Order: sequence, then structure tokens, then C-alpha cells
Amino acid sequence: MTILRNPWMQRALSLVMGGVFIYASLDKIWWPERFARIVYHYQIIGPNALFPPLAPNLLAATLPWIEALAGFMLVLGVWRRESALLIAFMLAVFVGAVGWTLYQGIDIENCGCFSLTTQGRHAGLALILEDLILLAGAALLAFLPAKKPSSR
Amino acid sequence: MRIGRIVILVLTGALSGLAWNGLSGRGMSLTRHVFIHEGDDIIDVTEAKRRFDRGALFIDARVRLVFELGHVPGAVLLSEDEFESLFPALESRLRGRLDIVVYCDGYGCESSHVVARKLKRRGIPASVLDNGLPAWIEAGHTTRIEAGTAKP
Repeated sequence: MTILRNPWMQRALSLVMGGVFIYASLDKIWWPERFARIVYHYQIIGPNALFPPLAPNLLAATLPWIEALAGFMLVLGVWRRESALLIAFMLAVFVGAVGWTLYQGIDIENCGCFSLTTQGRHAGLALILEDLILLAGAALLAFLPAKKPSSR
Repeated sequence: MRIGRIVILVLTGALSGLAWNGLSGRGMSLTRHVFIHEGDDIIDVTEAKRRFDRGALFIDARVRLVFELGHVPGAVLLSEDEFESLFPALESRLRGRLDIVVYCDGYGCESSHVVARKLKRRGIPASVLDNGLPAWIEAGHTTRIEAGTAKP
């Protein structure tokens, strides 16, 4: 457990996690409509008879910026625990969303994780496993603060 | 850990996203369905059934595998990914018709819109069934497996 609370290890983990989330947000910020298309493919918040296009469009326009900001804060090491918790929450929701599509038999060719312009990652079990590893990293930063407060 | 900081991160990210969407020139209309373009003709299942009873030609824009598992009776396969190879053999059946209805897998599926637009660019008008095959099935209309119809 000591290594997990090591300030340098946590600093390195913050840089990696923050970098991953900043990178993950870039294509989505640049191509909001393409990201909205992918949100539609998940068929969770519409558009459908219940949810008008406003719901998935709002998510597509705002979520990448929340990702980017949380990632940026992790890289800076500012509000690290709060940023990590926010990222952990987003990852948990995303894992739930991918699991739901698998359960429903919805085939998502591009998960919308990183690239929207090239052939994207398929939303499947491998993706869930990867995201669970990221989730563990984010949860560690959120709930297991470094031993030396001065390193935060 | 301060929850207020998480709220600030979410609000700042969301407002940044909305500002980027509105001011960058790369944004989208938040209320428009991104699958639907100007000029697309969308019909509901009641209208589709009315046309079906009058002998309209239904086009299934889903992939071959799911088409072969079941489709609207009499529908022909013209999937998005096989469009170029399937269209030449179907062209004589499609050209001149004014009652073509394209459908796919429902709200999360864009293929029916894409196929209808491809037909329109070739001078063949086609309507899109809103919510596709799920709407058809939910309305109590039958589907059928017809051996051989999946071949071009």
C-alpha cells in the first residue's frame, strides 16, 4: 500500500491519467456533431420518443470539455482528488453504458473514446476491462491521498 | 475532498462546451437531430403501413446478417456498407418509383438516412421510417424471413 500512497507515484499517475483524458477529449471537441452521432448510437439518452435530440446533443457538446478540464487539472496537480473523482464517475458511467449496449445487443463500431475521424475502437469487453483499469487509477487518486500533503 | 470543487469543474466544463459550440463555428444546433438533414422525408409507422398496404417498396438498410434474420415482408436489402455493389442490380426496380420507404434499426441507426440520401442523389426519392424496424414491430406488424432475397 505504501507505493500506492507515494507522492511521486501519484504525481506520475496524475500526469498519465490527465494526459489520457485530455487526449480523449480533443477529437470530440473538434467534431461535436460526430461525437453526437456516436452518443446517438448508444441509444441511452435518445433521441427517441422520450428524449428529444437536445439531450444527447447537450451531452456531446459539454462532456468533452468536462473531460478536458478534469484531465488538465490532474496534469497540473490542482484539485487532484476532486478531478480524479469526477473522472472516476465518468468512467463508471461509461463502463455502464458499454455494458448496457452489450446486454442490449447494440453494436457500437466506434466507442467514441479517442478518435472520431478514423476507424474507432469497437465497444466490447476489452474496452470495459481497459476502462476498469483507468477507473482503478482514478479511484486511487481520489480516495487514497499521498502520504505527504505537501506533494499535492 | 470538496464536492463544491467538482460542481465548479462540471459547470466550467459544460459552459466552456456550450460557448465553444455557439461561438467556434464548429458547433451544431443543439435541438436538431444530427442524423436528419434538410430535405429528408421522415414518415411515421402509421404512414409506412399505409404505403405498405398500397404496395410500397421497402428497403432494408441494415447489414446483411440481420436482414437475413428477418425484415419487413417484401423488403429488399440495400445496406449502407454494400450500397455500391447492390445498387446496380436494384436500380431498374427503384428508378421511377415514388413510394420507397427505407428503414434500419431504430433511433440509434443512421443507415436508413444515409441510404435514402444516396438514392436521392441518384434521382430516386425515398422516405425514411422513423425509428425503423423497432417501430414496425412495436406497432404489431409482421416481419418475415425470405430465403434468397438477401442476394443482389
